[in-house]
Amino acid sequence: MSEMVGKLFGWVNSRLPIANTFERHLSKHPVPSKVNFWYLFGALASVVLIIQIVSGIWLIMPYSNTEEEAFSSIEYIMRDVDYGWVIRYMHTTGASMFFAVVYLHMFRGLLYGSYQKPKELVWIFGCTIYLAMMAEGFLGYVLPYGQMSYWGAQVIISLFGAIPYIGESLELWVRGDYYISGITVSRFFALHVVALPLILIALVFLHLVALHEVGAGNPEGVDIEEFLDEDGIPLDSVPFFPYKVLNALVGIGVFMTVFAIIMFFFPEGGGYFIEMANFEEANPLVTPEHIAPVWYYSPYYAMLRAVPDKLGGLIVMGSAVAILFVVPWLDRSKVASIRYKGIYSKFALAFFGISFLTLGYLGTVGVTEVRKTMSVICTVIYFAFFLLMPLYTKYEKTKEVPKRL
Amino acid sequence: MIMVNNFKMIQKFCELLIFVTLIFCINNLFAAEGGPCKDYGECDEFKYSLNDMSSLQRGASTFLNYCYGCHSLQYSRWGRVAKDLQIPEEIFFENLVFDKSVKPGDLMTGSMSKEKSSQWFGVAPPDLTLVSRVRGDDWIYTYLRAYYEDSSKQYGVNNLVYPGTAMPNVLIGLQGNQRLVCKDVPIIANNGGEKRDNSGNTITKEKCGYLMVEDGSGELTKEQFDTLIYDLTNFLVYVGEPAKATRERMGWYVIFYFLIFTALSALLYREYHKDYH
Repeated sequence: MSEMVGKLFGWVNSRLPIANTFERHLSKHPVPSKVNFWYLFGALASVVLIIQIVSGIWLIMPYSNTEEEAFSSIEYIMRDVDYGWVIRYMHTTGASMFFAVVYLHMFRGLLYGSYQKPKELVWIFGCTIYLAMMAEGFLGYVLPYGQMSYWGAQVIISLFGAIPYIGESLELWVRGDYYISGITVSRFFALHVVALPLILIALVFLHLVALHEVGAGNPEGVDIEEFLDEDGIPLDSVPFFPYKVLNALVGIGVFMTVFAIIMFFFPEGGGYFIEMANFEEANPLVTPEHIAPVWYYSPYYAMLRAVPDKLGGLIVMGSAVAILFVVPWLDRSKVASIRYKGIYSKFALAFFGISFLTLGYLGTVGVTEVRKTMSVICTVIYFAFFLLMPLYTKYEKTKEVPKRL
Repeated sequence: MIMVNNFKMIQKFCELLIFVTLIFCINNLFAAEGGPCKDYGECDEFKYSLNDMSSLQRGASTFLNYCYGCHSLQYSRWGRVAKDLQIPEEIFFENLVFDKSVKPGDLMTGSMSKEKSSQWFGVAPPDLTLVSRVRGDDWIYTYLRAYYEDSSKQYGVNNLVYPGTAMPNVLIGLQGNQRLVCKDVPIIANNGGEKRDNSGNTITKEKCGYLMVEDGSGELTKEQFDTLIYDLTNFLVYVGEPAKATRERMGWYVIFYFLIFTALSALLYREYHKDYH
């Protein structure tokens, strides 16, 4: 029997590089032997991606993408579908957790210079994933067709209108109607469940292939490729299986515990994960008192509101994301990790982190004069972190990086 | 060494978690400004108890007798309510369902036409299936107890939580006439204590806006009425999310499972970690 299986495997393997690919990218793939918890969030992001895809497929089955039934089909899922509430809360919690781990993953990149040569493409694919996720999240938020779905979409789509010349027709083209309607819902549904997931999966694939080509980083910023054993495997590395897998498994365990606490006890996340106004069906005639995006967009929303001009706000918001793509060329430091960078880099990153969190808070609350000023200051710090990077990374005193991990 | 390393990692993870939670709390704190209960001030706190079947049953009975005439529960089904609230179907349909053509699988779509009701009230009474999720349970519990006499209004009543509300006080017969009254209240000094004069008596000033029920004007005492509203709100919390009690029960098992999972994988990780340290 086992001989038969072995033969069959051999037959397939001589026609399809299964064993080779498996060894190269999974079982024997060398990873740095010493990393810290910041290096877990990539694995966690892929776990959430799987959760989102699986729960998403099951949500599509009972969901109805029409203007009349979108909202009630969600309530149908929550009430009449067996364990429908489990699937839906998994998806809503997953959305917030996806952004949470991706933000931490990106911050890890900034901390340890995970974008530096030769990892530029890994970083760029990552930024593109983030961009696709933002689109995916926005499209998905419209589908329950609650008040916040409707008015949030209204605000975001109307941004297209600020673009000179083509703005208005572009707005109409995106919406498919003169106001948000069933047409918009059904096209957003198609994009949310087919187009963007395909793009996301392709990008994740590229992100990983590029990463495996250049090798994963470590918090010391040491190039482990310099010292190899007789087989050409880095001395400071361990094979992915079982070492990295087990490491990730502990992280996944902790993460899933947190996930379960939120999903089963705080699925609305105090109105930050599912906004209360979204339990009311979309009503084009009644504007909610306070339109706020979900927490993961709020830093950009705060930037948008910090600029008085609509087009200006749009440009600032777009640049805030676009600037991430060029980080590999803004950092002129000789070292990768924050541990060996100078004091300027440390302060810059701290200020950046604080201003991003503050912007996140400001984006969820109403506007006052003080808050507006704060948004402006934080937006300036956000951009200063990137735009001044070539200077402070070049002219600061860095520490000597050790040769080995 | 390995232990220490592992421990440090977990410690760092915990620190991060605490930090995130802190941000979350601060956020919530600031977001609470300009409370949803308007003129009432802070909403009264409501703690649901979805495992208290008699409370839910009383709440359902109050709802179906006093509210369902105008307000539908259009996403909820009759049979599901009877089953979840452990009311035998015959008793439920005999005593609480007034339209005899209703079947257990039917949605509770209400009995009043939206067109007519919006003519009568100026606005059609909203569906209340999800009201506890839109407004929150604190809000409902406070709102239903915050009606007061106001002859300038169409129905002779107004509400502190929802000034100018279009809904008459349907429960006035049970509650009695509630009025806004003025009271002498102690003046609070800068140090947080009560201000006193030289002979040690508390200095008071008149403050208005307190709700008071005229004695004996309603069928129920204040405590009984509060319980009635508690049960009603509890029922609305249930109807807002029928799976909530199940969800919270199931959650413990899932968390327990992942804790065991984490512990086992940590032990295994530690064992393998010895290979390269």
